[in-house]
Amino acid sequence: MGFVESVRVRIAERKVPPADRALLRDLRRALAHDRVRFDAAERALFAHDASFDEGGVSGPICFPVSTAEVQALTRVAIDHGRAIVPRGAGTGLAGGAIPLGAPIVVSLMKMNRILEIDGDNRVAWVEPGVVNLDLSNQLRPLGYHFAPDPSSQQVCTIGGNVANNSGGPHCLAYGVTDAHIAALEVVLPSGEVAVFGEIGPDETGLDLRGAFVGSEGTLGIATKVAVRLTKNPPAVRTLLLAFSAMRDAAQTVSDIVAAGMVPAAMEVMDQKITNAAENFVGAGYPRDAAAILLAEVEGLEGGIAIDARRIEEIGQRNHATSVRRAETEEERALLWKGRKTAFGAVAQIKPDYYLHDTVVPRSSLAAVLEEIYAIAERHDLVVMNVFHAGDGNLHPLLIFDARVPGEIDRVHRAGDEIVRASLAAGGVLSGEHGIGVEKQGFMEELFSADDLEHQNRLRETFDPICRANPGKVMPIGHSCADIQALRSVPTGVWG
Amino acid sequence: MKAVSAGESLRLGIDPDALNKCVQCGLCLPHCPTFRATGDESFSPRGRIALMRAVQNDGAPITRDVERAFETCVQCRGCETNCPSQVPYGELIEPTREALAQRSRWRSRLFETLLGFLARPAWLRAGAGTAVALRRMGLVPRRLGVPENTADSNAPIPATGDDVFLFTGCIMDAWQRDVHDAATRVLSAAGVGVQATGDAAPCCGALHRHAGLSSTSETHAEHVIRALSTDDRPILVDSAGCGAAMKEYGQWLGTEEARAFSARVFDIHEWLSEQLDRLPRVEPLDVKLAVQDPCHLRHVQKVHLATRTALAPFVRELVELDDEGLCCGAGGIYFVLEPELAGTIRERKCGAIERAGADVVVSANPGCSMHLAAAGLEVCHPMQIIDRALAGRTG
Repeated sequence: MGFVESVRVRIAERKVPPADRALLRDLRRALAHDRVRFDAAERALFAHDASFDEGGVSGPICFPVSTAEVQALTRVAIDHGRAIVPRGAGTGLAGGAIPLGAPIVVSLMKMNRILEIDGDNRVAWVEPGVVNLDLSNQLRPLGYHFAPDPSSQQVCTIGGNVANNSGGPHCLAYGVTDAHIAALEVVLPSGEVAVFGEIGPDETGLDLRGAFVGSEGTLGIATKVAVRLTKNPPAVRTLLLAFSAMRDAAQTVSDIVAAGMVPAAMEVMDQKITNAAENFVGAGYPRDAAAILLAEVEGLEGGIAIDARRIEEIGQRNHATSVRRAETEEERALLWKGRKTAFGAVAQIKPDYYLHDTVVPRSSLAAVLEEIYAIAERHDLVVMNVFHAGDGNLHPLLIFDARVPGEIDRVHRAGDEIVRASLAAGGVLSGEHGIGVEKQGFMEELFSADDLEHQNRLRETFDPICRANPGKVMPIGHSCADIQALRSVPTGVWG
Repeated sequence: MKAVSAGESLRLGIDPDALNKCVQCGLCLPHCPTFRATGDESFSPRGRIALMRAVQNDGAPITRDVERAFETCVQCRGCETNCPSQVPYGELIEPTREALAQRSRWRSRLFETLLGFLARPAWLRAGAGTAVALRRMGLVPRRLGVPENTADSNAPIPATGDDVFLFTGCIMDAWQRDVHDAATRVLSAAGVGVQATGDAAPCCGALHRHAGLSSTSETHAEHVIRALSTDDRPILVDSAGCGAAMKEYGQWLGTEEARAFSARVFDIHEWLSEQLDRLPRVEPLDVKLAVQDPCHLRHVQKVHLATRTALAPFVRELVELDDEGLCCGAGGIYFVLEPELAGTIRERKCGAIERAGADVVVSANPGCSMHLAAAGLEVCHPMQIIDRALAGRTG
């Protein structure tokens, strides 16, 4: 930034309270002038993620480029008694990256280098801002990929995947992010740098790497991640089965697993979302089917030919109205593109969505889905279902128009009922999106007071005064949910 | 619209329904060249739409940062083709740019004056000659992408028949006349008689539109329509940006005449790919060719695959870039206005070209080829490749 520009910034910030001016000055010394922003409109952008949460209030936004800078800005935060909220691409769906109480927002998007690809140990060291799909694309010529493939993989980052322990369609066979992280370099809330996990054989002692993955930024900021590389399968077959009833699709999924198969992926979409996706991609999804099942098997050619035939037979026994095999790589890519962009296609129908993420036992899939449709109907809302059927991870999408008075309240009520119905069926709160601010209120319904107390103690060991992403995950009332513990500015002051 | 000073709010005049269509899911982010270059939300389509909402719905002030967010948009519209909810981003950014242009009177006058040259072919040709001379003397920075040679002749391109019009445009006619010559020879080889539009229809108005000068762009559109409506033969365009604009004349002007005109406009590869059997069979050139899709061919006209169909019989190998059509950063005159960002964006494109391992890169848009050539790449127009193959020459 040139001199003129820095003078302009200084003039623009002349009304900033003195305490914050000192904070900005120290942050800019630690990073660089143009990588610390404080413009009101820009802070408003960083107050949201992709969830429908109303958002928080962001303090200064920092764009560090190295571990040393993350460490330096953490120390500035300590000196000024401020909280820190890390952020990747901002595609979170549970409000995990929403800044509460005007904390320092740390965007890791400029730390986006693949540092080292270690073929011998089948790991790659990457920075947290590397985009998930970019990583797999770069690894492809070497014969590898990064297995977790969230639907948002074209944009979400490895850091965000680590924070949320993200899943994805192919995690049915490969396991979620936790299984693919060998080690992490993190900047702790104290400002120290630590390495958790090991590249070689499993380390002895406590699994701090395991504790960190999925901690949603509450234990510190990962600045380097050693991801495990997964060998690309020799052959893949993708099937599209159509059904005239959702129950038949759900039963097919259960029967496939009961038959002893673990396909690479099994995804179901209902009629409404299938049509919205079809409008965008034109993949040739059957528009008249009540539900479609996208199933993929991979491995050696001989094996997958048998698996594919068995899946077709099981589908037909469950009254599949059509079965289609992707004949070319382009056709397969298009079938997946529709599935992976489905949730973003809903504005064709309504401009707002609330995307849920509960997990239920596979055996109760059909029953819970029927209840979800009934709940939506009771509240006069449109619900679309698109989900990771293989592991029972539901993603009911309530779509609505926030401009219609009262509609948001109905969405909240319906959402609560959907979560309760999933818990009642023996399910859990989140499959992959995390708890964030969205599902904090339900933590006490899933966990006992003792459970929560132990989780809190773990967190306090890392972060005794709730500097890292305060107000997230742990329910309100538990010590770390109390964001006023820090000398932060209450919501609305800079609004 | 009244001019307002910095910090005040501004009426953007965007259609509220179009503005409300974005669900803020973020799937556009990786397809935005400025987000890719900066990782900054305010330089992304989702961020820009959120800012438009803040300005239009909540009266948020136009601070310098908000203005930067809007003016750094390349308008490649890569976000638009990748939006599952099909948000019409072009319909959002164009009125926003227009409101911004009108806000600063000196700025819009400056643009009017500079872009005014585009409708004056003789001045342009003289300017091009001078710029090339200065470039040869090393007095023009390389990053401005001024070519080292220009058309040899200022004379109009002779007509070879009256089957089709070839729209020759402004900058391209002055600086890339050899592309038009190649296109004319290729069409002639297919037995198609070509009449170049030349000075009769000097400028399509696309650059004015992108700079927010809508009324000027519409004047140009009306001029072009009048000049080329003597009959209803197809109008072929070998510049992707011009073609995209002329196909949108119907939307710009909203008249039946303009819509009928737009229906006659074809990208030259789009039209030729349906007539390939009229071209003689020749030995393919022994080159490995990478196709760089101009954004306005891929994301606006959506006919980029035709370029490959047209080229395939004439080269040994066609390779795809692995960046899913991400913008190169040229963006009309964007690379002149935002040299630093345009340069960072181009680095990513050059990386993709390098990975593809091609001998030659082709681009069907003059801005893209100038911008890429300024980075030291060998860039041709697809028509020049086909012309070379037909002439029986190699490489």
